[in-house]
Parts: sequence; C-alpha cells; structure tokens
Amino acid sequence: MKNKKIKKKNSKNNFSKLSIFQNQKFKFKKKCPLSGKGAPKIDYKNIRLLRKYVSENGKILPSRITSVSFKKQRELSLSIKRARNLALI
Amino acid sequence: MNFYEHTIIARQDVSPAQLKQVEEKYKKIIENNDGNLLKTEKWGLMNLSYLIKKNKKGNFIHFKIEGNGKTISELEKSEKIDKNLLKYLTIRVKKIDLETNYFEKNNDDNKNKELEN
Repeated sequence: MKNKKIKKKNSKNNFSKLSIFQNQKFKFKKKCPLSGKGAPKIDYKNIRLLRKYVSENGKILPSRITSVSFKKQRELSLSIKRARNLALI
Repeated sequence: MNFYEHTIIARQDVSPAQLKQVEEKYKKIIENNDGNLLKTEKWGLMNLSYLIKKNKKGNFIHFKIEGNGKTISELEKSEKIDKNLLKYLTIRVKKIDLETNYFEKNNDDNKNKELEN
C-alpha cells in the first residue's frame, strides 16, 4: 500500500514538473508589440496590421491573448471600428 | 483650423470621367468654404467586406483637408444627397501624415516594413 501511495505521489510530481517545463518552453510574450521604439503606427488605413488583431469572424481579439498594452488596445479598437465603417475589414 | 481626413466611397459602375467630376466637385466645395485641400489619394476600385446598398465593390477617394467645422458640414450636406456615393467618413486628426499611402500598389517599402514587424 505504501509503495503504491509513493508511486502516485511521484507520478503527480513528475506531471507537475512536466507542466512547468512546458510553460517555460512556450513562454508567453510579455512585451507589447505595438509600443516601444520602431513599433508600427496604428491607423485605420493600415489594414494589414489590423488584420492581425481581428479573429476570423471579424471580432476584435482581447488584449490578454495578443498582449497589447491597454493604451494601445484602446487605439486599436477605435481604428478597427473606423475600418469596419469603411468596409475595409 | 483643424486637420481632417475624409474618405468617399463611390459606386462601382461610375465611369472614370464621372469620377473625376465627383472629385472636382468636392474640391470646389472645400475651397469655397475657406478650406485647404492638402492631398488627394485615389485608392481605386476595391472589394467591400460587406454589401453597401447592394454593391460589392467601390471606388475609394481620400482627401486630406485643412479647414474648420463649416467646410466639413457643407461637404457632408452635399454628399448625403449625392447618388454616386455609397458612404463617407471624416476623421479629425491632430497631426496629418502626408507621406505614407497604405493603398499604393507599386510601393514595396510598406510591404517590407510590415514583414519585419
């Protein structure tokens, strides 16, 4: 019985370690891709840039997925809505 | 005086001669109402992402204007009635950018910049 319990614990530990390892490997980008030096300007005419931040159904992607800063996300959503008005997106 | 960006979508079946007339008509309206036309961009015939008044395509014309509220209100008044147009959009900007044209087809610099990003 004792052995079994130990085995179970070990397996759990291994599993948790595995998950930690995976997290490190596929680390999420923390930096905002639109702020900082050399970042592209957000504009309603720049459709190619806006397409990256829109889902296939035309919805705006949330910033927790794209890791865009709050300030830039506000600009983005405004310019996406302008582009929608002109039927560009 | 403020800076404005103004875009017009004209009907697909408008002939190029008529399109020039439309462009010059609004040029005159801007200049008569103490506005100043800085730049015009012709984006050409493009696909619309959804139907507007049962049209699939539209001719886009983009104006960069320096003027006040009166010029814009006069512009939009005449655009509402115009049957050749589908839609219009005016946006006030603090700084006007006269250099970059996102819809130029022969310009490779814009493409390269975006690929790097």
